Amino acid sequence: MKNNDHPDPHPLDLASIVDNQADFSKFNELVESLKHWIHSAPQWPPAQHIAGQWEQVELRLDRARLELSRVLVVGVIGGTGTGKSTLVNALAGCNISPAGDVARPTTIHPVIVVARDVDLSWLPVDAMQARVVHSDSAAIANIVLIDCPDPDTQADCVDQPAGGSPADRSQAQPTDSNHNRDLLEKVLPVCDVLLLVATAQKYRSWIVAREVAMFAPGRPLLFVQTHASRDPDIREDWRRELQSQGFVVPHIFRVDALQAAQRAAALLEPEPEFKELVTAIDAELVGRAARRVRRTGALDLAGWFLLQSRGQFAELGDAVAQLAAGVQVQRARLEALAARAIEAKLRSSRSSWQGVLTEEVIDRWHGGLFPLFLHALAAIGSFWPRMRSVGGSLIGRILSGQAVAPVATGHAAWAAIEELGINEAEVEQSRSILIGQAARARIFEPLVGRARLDASSVQITVGTLLERSGAWLATGIKRLVNERRGRIDSALVRGAFEVLFSGLVVAVLGRAAWNFFIGHLWFGRSLDGAGFLLEAFVWLILWGLLLRWLVLVRVRTGLDRDIRTLVDRLPSARLIDPLLSDFAEAAAATSEFVKQRDSLDRDWTALAKELAEPSSELGRLHREPS
Amino acid sequence: MHLEVATEKPPVLFTAWVNAVQELCALVNALAPLGESLGVPDLRKTDWHGQLFDKLAPQVSPEAVLVVAVCGGTNTGKSLITNALVGSPISRSVPEAARTRYPVASLPKGLVARIDPAKLFPGFVTAKWQSQEDAIDGGVQKSDQNDSVHRLVWREDVSGQQSPRLVLLDTPDIDGTLQANWHRAELVRNACDVIVAVLTQQKYNDATVREFFRAAATAQKTTIIVFNMVDWPVQRDRITGWLATFCAQTGIAPAAVYAVPFDAAAAAAGSITFYALPELSVAGQLSNRNGLDRSLDKQIDESQDLASRLANVDFNRIKLRAMKGAFQVVLNPHTGVGAWLDAFETSASQWQEVKRLLAVEARVRVELPTAPRELVWQEIWQWLEPRRSGFDLTVSKAYRFAGKGLRIVAGKTGLIRSDAKRREDFSALELAALKRGLADFVERLEDISRSNRHAASLLDGVLVDGNRTAWYLDLECRHAALPIVSEDYRQFVRSELDRFSSQNPDALRWILTGLNVGAVARPAITVALGWAGAAAVPAAAVTAGGLSSLVHHVGDVVVGGAATLAGEGALGLTIVGLKPLIETLFAGWSSERSRVLAETLHNVVLGNRLDEIERLASAAARPEVAQARRLIFECSREFSG
Repeated sequence: MKNNDHPDPHPLDLASIVDNQADFSKFNELVESLKHWIHSAPQWPPAQHIAGQWEQVELRLDRARLELSRVLVVGVIGGTGTGKSTLVNALAGCNISPAGDVARPTTIHPVIVVARDVDLSWLPVDAMQARVVHSDSAAIANIVLIDCPDPDTQADCVDQPAGGSPADRSQAQPTDSNHNRDLLEKVLPVCDVLLLVATAQKYRSWIVAREVAMFAPGRPLLFVQTHASRDPDIREDWRRELQSQGFVVPHIFRVDALQAAQRAAALLEPEPEFKELVTAIDAELVGRAARRVRRTGALDLAGWFLLQSRGQFAELGDAVAQLAAGVQVQRARLEALAARAIEAKLRSSRSSWQGVLTEEVIDRWHGGLFPLFLHALAAIGSFWPRMRSVGGSLIGRILSGQAVAPVATGHAAWAAIEELGINEAEVEQSRSILIGQAARARIFEPLVGRARLDASSVQITVGTLLERSGAWLATGIKRLVNERRGRIDSALVRGAFEVLFSGLVVAVLGRAAWNFFIGHLWFGRSLDGAGFLLEAFVWLILWGLLLRWLVLVRVRTGLDRDIRTLVDRLPSARLIDPLLSDFAEAAAATSEFVKQRDSLDRDWTALAKELAEPSSELGRLHREPS
Repeated sequence: MHLEVATEKPPVLFTAWVNAVQELCALVNALAPLGESLGVPDLRKTDWHGQLFDKLAPQVSPEAVLVVAVCGGTNTGKSLITNALVGSPISRSVPEAARTRYPVASLPKGLVARIDPAKLFPGFVTAKWQSQEDAIDGGVQKSDQNDSVHRLVWREDVSGQQSPRLVLLDTPDIDGTLQANWHRAELVRNACDVIVAVLTQQKYNDATVREFFRAAATAQKTTIIVFNMVDWPVQRDRITGWLATFCAQTGIAPAAVYAVPFDAAAAAAGSITFYALPELSVAGQLSNRNGLDRSLDKQIDESQDLASRLANVDFNRIKLRAMKGAFQVVLNPHTGVGAWLDAFETSASQWQEVKRLLAVEARVRVELPTAPRELVWQEIWQWLEPRRSGFDLTVSKAYRFAGKGLRIVAGKTGLIRSDAKRREDFSALELAALKRGLADFVERLEDISRSNRHAASLLDGVLVDGNRTAWYLDLECRHAALPIVSEDYRQFVRSELDRFSSQNPDALRWILTGLNVGAVARPAITVALGWAGAAAVPAAAVTAGGLSSLVHHVGDVVVGGAATLAGEGALGLTIVGLKPLIETLFAGWSSERSRVLAETLHNVVLGNRLDEIERLASAAARPEVAQARRLIFECSREFSG
């Protein structure tokens, strides 16, 4: 801004600058979090749609923050014939934009009216096909005024045939030369403030309302009824109409631009109503007020954007929550299948348990006759050919402490976990159900996969599942076995068994010693001979086996109940998660994205409350729809 | 001047049109709901539909009246001009814009006794006029601010000054923010013969205004242009330029042009002045050109006072031109009913593509687990039992007894699984295969829905909103309810074997040989969507009845290995006849198993959507389409001839 030689009607005081900067630091924070939020957008169509909208909004927010001290651009917009150009001429104080009733539309190319010393290098003048006119009028000394083309003379859809024979139609077709609305839509993006002009005939125009609604977010407005000397005062009705369209309307000016232009040309004092408008422009759009306008506009824009984004998700919140719940339901379903299969398998593997538990007992029991007997038995047993191989089954291998086999490639991998009660069909069922629920939340590929896992993901997920369940089962079984070992670990139990077994040995030996030393040598009775020893040995073996059986019974009692307890803990192991992880992650990512919007929305509301301005003459679009 | 207009008979010509118009209306009405399901653009928005149903249909049969409508943008003074034309206040004029919400009609004295206003304006709910506030929003009808009701208020001319066959209407605006107003104005525009276009210097070149009057020009309405709020006489010369723009943009050839000066005081008093501008009307502009019959326009143009002269025009000629114009809009090959039928057929062919896609893409190969062979054999044994010789029977009984004993022992020791166990295993595997089939099928439907917009519109209701858990539950229930060997299948086996034995005298021997050899079946059934007349359904499914042919199976059970097992030379001869039989028996069993899936797909997943697709795909073949085409052709020939 180079208007230093112009007297600034509002000398800036230092306190307010500091105040403004403080406000902007908070606003900057909000914009930064908005950027962060948009960058975290998942591959979710509503989120992507918002990210697309953000590009435009970001541009404007950045500009508002960077070009804080630039003069405001005021676009004069309204239907054709409402006196836009006349108003611009009146404000500029001379006849610079053609106006009148000769032909509609009058203004085709936008006219930019600006003081001589204002730098316009940042305005895309050529792209807008605009003409720049300099003016010395005090009313526009500190703003850039653009006389915009009208929105309502360009045909809505030129390619729509109007009917009639081809000859008729070529005659009736609108001339293609009218591109006023297209031009207008090139001009409005650079405007900071809109000056909406209407007459009694045009204030309810649908096309104008549509165009203004498109560009109003984040752009404060001034409302002006023209043709005051001819038309009745429709300001009350216009206010109602604007309010129903969602605008805040603090004031509507009512001027006669034609008279004002004539008076300005004749260097006469303007009419009081027109003067009011000029004063309002000076008070609301210049100097400190310009910063406020820009800030309010930017804040409104951010708020409008957040509101728009809510519209994108509003109906999907429930669906996302349902998907998350659906993942839990399917997880529980598959876990129940796994639990049932694992429990049945563990229960039916009696001989494996027997083997494991026996080994455990033998490993831990040393020194003594009974342990010696047990070890001997185990040593003999190890030579015995095994009746049934347990090596083939997963749970059998885990029970016998072997490592789980590596997963086969591709779809063959499913075979590896068949024993866990989870087959491809069940997983596909769960995934297919979840795909339906995801589609309801508009979550599709690639955010989630397909019902049938492809070969590589089968290998990964099944591999993880196998690894997890192997580890979980191994620890579970180990704990179970340890608990059971505890039952025979006490000295009393061991002592009792030792005494019971050793007692027979001692009794046999005592009987043999009695027979030899006392009976044979002393009393001369006959020796019992090898027969007795053989008999005693057989009884000893039988007694030992009975005791061993008792030990095992003690160790084994309540095994089924303990297996149930073990299996009940299955959900905490999260074995199934890898199979449904894409759905769980998608639900989490989308709901997180929505949640962050809500939090940003709260931040915005707090900031908007904090920065609430005293009421001004400027109107704006309500954030909440009416 | 036609002074005795009122006593003239209505033109005979319209009675000749009655049948064609009524038949066309009936055909369009019959096809309209189908067109809507097909996704053909809404026909209520087309010009031809408006001309057919709002003009031709209501005006072709009763006595011909001349409908004059005053139309224009918001706050251009339509109500004021209407009141001036009627001669007394009928529609309240207010300073705020877009306040006239409903059309107001002034009917000539005694017309209501002959014609029901509701029949004349079929798009409206008609009501008798009470006060000039009737059509104003916030007026008498405060209760229905609801925009879906289109009201029309009518008043019978009490003075008797209104020409006996002239109907005058005030209309709501055509460019305001309430689009319901536009629609009402369009309904009146369609119905009218003469349109009084109220323009102002602010609005004569607005896109919405041009659009509205262009349609009137296309339908050959006689147009009278009134420039309102003119700074008279300052802007008098401007009007030429304004009119040239308006006429070039809309194609309107004005029969008369009037200017009404801006005079707020006169407007408030309700007295306005019309200045005729005869040099601007078509007749005035073309007065030097020859070869064009513009006497009609000239006649209107020569009138001096708009109100009284509207009454004195040649009603019949204007009416005939408007009716012909309406007919031409309907018959226009590019934009008329023919174009709609084209769109109808195009959409139908797109649905045929959907049908083809579903038939080709939506087929799933279900690989059932290897069947417990003895199930099929057992059925064959049972059929054989009474037919076998005594010795044979004894031997086989002995074998079977021994075999049973062995099996029991083996089962107890755990060496082989018992029959019950094996069936349980089979059942679980089979259910898994069926579930995979269902998931596969749904995935295929999803792919089709993604690639085809039409399919998506029909299938998304199922794929997105459907309760998939219920589909699987249904499949599980059906599977659980299906006995391992159903009575239907038993019946099927017997009939097949009977047929085979009656055709082959040596059947018994062959079958016995076949039994000894045994066959290995690897059933794989393709389940696909099919429509009536599609490939034959395997016998078991047919005999089962109930299931329509909407979902069919293509069985490709492979029964092989029998010959190789037993040595080809020994059995070559017998196998030739036997193989197809055994194949059929196994195929029947497998296809009955997979019928469960087909039933779930048809009854629960797709519901009646296949019927709907069939209905849409065959829409173009409906007799109404051909009838409409023929009717259009005949009418066009009559018009051109």
